[in-house]
Amino acid sequence: MARMTRRNFLKASGTAVVVSGLAGCAGMGGAPTATTTPTDLAPNRSGRRVVVIGGGWAGATAAKYVRMEDPATEVILIEPNAKFISCPFSNLVLSGVRSIESLTFEYDGLRKQHGVRIMRESATAIEPDARRVRLERGFLTYDRLIVAPGIDFQTEQIEGLAAAGDRVPHAWKAGPQTVTLARQLKEMPDDGVFVLSVPPAAYRCPPGPYERACQVAWYLKTRKPRAKLIVLDANQNVISKPALFRAAWQAYPNLEYRASSKVVKVDAAAREVTTEFGDKVRYDVANVIPPQRAGAIAVQADLVGADKRWCEVNHVTYESVKAKDVHVVGDATIGIPAPKSGTVANSMGKIAATAVVHLLTGRPVPEMPPINTCYSWVSDTEVMAVVNAYRIDNGKVVQIEQKLTPGQSTLYAQHAQAWATSIWADILA
Amino acid sequence: MRAFVVAAALAAALAATTAASAGPVDTPGFTKAYSCSACHGRAGATRADAVPVLAGMPAWYFKKAIDDYAAGRRPSPEMEPFSKMVKTLGVDDIAAYFAAQPREASPIKLDRTAVANGRTASTQCAACHGDDGRGDQAKGTPPLAGQPPGYLLNQMKLFKADKRSPGDANLAAVKAAMKGVDDATLANLAAYYSSLGR
Repeated sequence: MARMTRRNFLKASGTAVVVSGLAGCAGMGGAPTATTTPTDLAPNRSGRRVVVIGGGWAGATAAKYVRMEDPATEVILIEPNAKFISCPFSNLVLSGVRSIESLTFEYDGLRKQHGVRIMRESATAIEPDARRVRLERGFLTYDRLIVAPGIDFQTEQIEGLAAAGDRVPHAWKAGPQTVTLARQLKEMPDDGVFVLSVPPAAYRCPPGPYERACQVAWYLKTRKPRAKLIVLDANQNVISKPALFRAAWQAYPNLEYRASSKVVKVDAAAREVTTEFGDKVRYDVANVIPPQRAGAIAVQADLVGADKRWCEVNHVTYESVKAKDVHVVGDATIGIPAPKSGTVANSMGKIAATAVVHLLTGRPVPEMPPINTCYSWVSDTEVMAVVNAYRIDNGKVVQIEQKLTPGQSTLYAQHAQAWATSIWADILA
Repeated sequence: MRAFVVAAALAAALAATTAASAGPVDTPGFTKAYSCSACHGRAGATRADAVPVLAGMPAWYFKKAIDDYAAGRRPSPEMEPFSKMVKTLGVDDIAAYFAAQPREASPIKLDRTAVANGRTASTQCAACHGDDGRGDQAKGTPPLAGQPPGYLLNQMKLFKADKRSPGDANLAAVKAAMKGVDDATLANLAAYYSSLGR
């Protein structure tokens, strides 16, 4: 692949050449030579091209659904990771109830079943006026852009956290850090202390930290009954399903919950965290989930609001309020009264795909509300949930109803499993 | 050769135009049913065990189920909010859409002995649900054939415990009969009805 053909050289040097297909570029190793003209990595000859940045729950769904709805539209998905790893259910990896492999999926379905073109790299900039996405090696043009950047961490807001590196994992993007944290928990002394720090809202998956508390507490109760879990919550109370979580925690006397305890400092050498009120807590394992904002590309492209964190969008089309022809979906959005959940991201992916297809083909965009279900595993076998239904009212998403399960049960665990089976296929197959 | 290429290109362009003007998105109910696929699978053909396959479900029964969930007659923390949403979006379109989708029987593996035992135990059920488990609109009995065994078993357990359609006089006899059936037999029945139509 390293051999530089004349054709590749021409492309690399930025000369306009017409080549058939994209395959020639994909493995090209050479960086662009000194030139001010960047390379068009895949000239747009379809006349209807959608570029999707990010292949998570929202982005992968959007890419698939655009192709499903209109096979004449070309879709290019830009995603640096080779595989899709599900954040939902990844707290079960910490307790050893599930393996990370059971949550890892290929992108083959998008490519083979739906004809989505996947480029395994990162977007570095967006040029809305030129309708171009910049990548390391050049650019791609689009007719409509769907940005699904997920979240990034504001690590700098906690002193010492960046220096701590993988010694203090967040494990808030399922993957290697999830496995690291599971190993740390397993290797923790029998009478050890596990500290879990919950960031201030808004963050990805509101019930996630509390579900994680259940899974860690269940593991400790089962395997290390002398050990302890301390939850330091930056918020004033459990921010999702509080009554159900507090009921679930009755089974875990080894779990100590402290509200209004924002972690501001981590000392990895002394194994100690400090809260904003100056309380110091010694730990054997620390899982600090940092404050969050929209994924870097959204901030770089200034799709975020004045807070520099989240992206405001039109509630019907998901078009950014800040950039024309650019749609933002998933956890990076703000303003729609729905949680940053996998189900909502999947919903937004479908709705934005539909909007984009209708806009590109000159048809009125149907008004489609999202849905939400958040299943939380409170032990190895039991689950409880919150469910939200919405409608569109005067162009805005409003909630019809929110409903909680009456408690936790193995029946809802079956429903959670059914949801996972169906939604993973809905995103990728 | 050149002419062929041009003709092929024209054909492709025509196909593209057709796809744009009358694609699947123009089918009433197609996009409205999107919300359902997170749990029930694309086009209602879930491969999961604990939720029903909606593909091929008769419209009359889909609408009855939505009405029952929305009114709280069929208590479900998940389906009560979503049934209200389905009614807001237009239940007729969504019911018609799912009814028209090709049936895909559950791919969940079944135990042969359980299926055989379930067949033996199914005589009473067949009186209303039919020999083939296809249901009977006149009697208000839904089709059971090909539904996932986990879903069928959970529904029977809910009936047995009077947690589905509580207080429904029409179902009193069915629930009374189920009270006398042990859970192992209910599981056999679920396997049998799931096996039909595969």
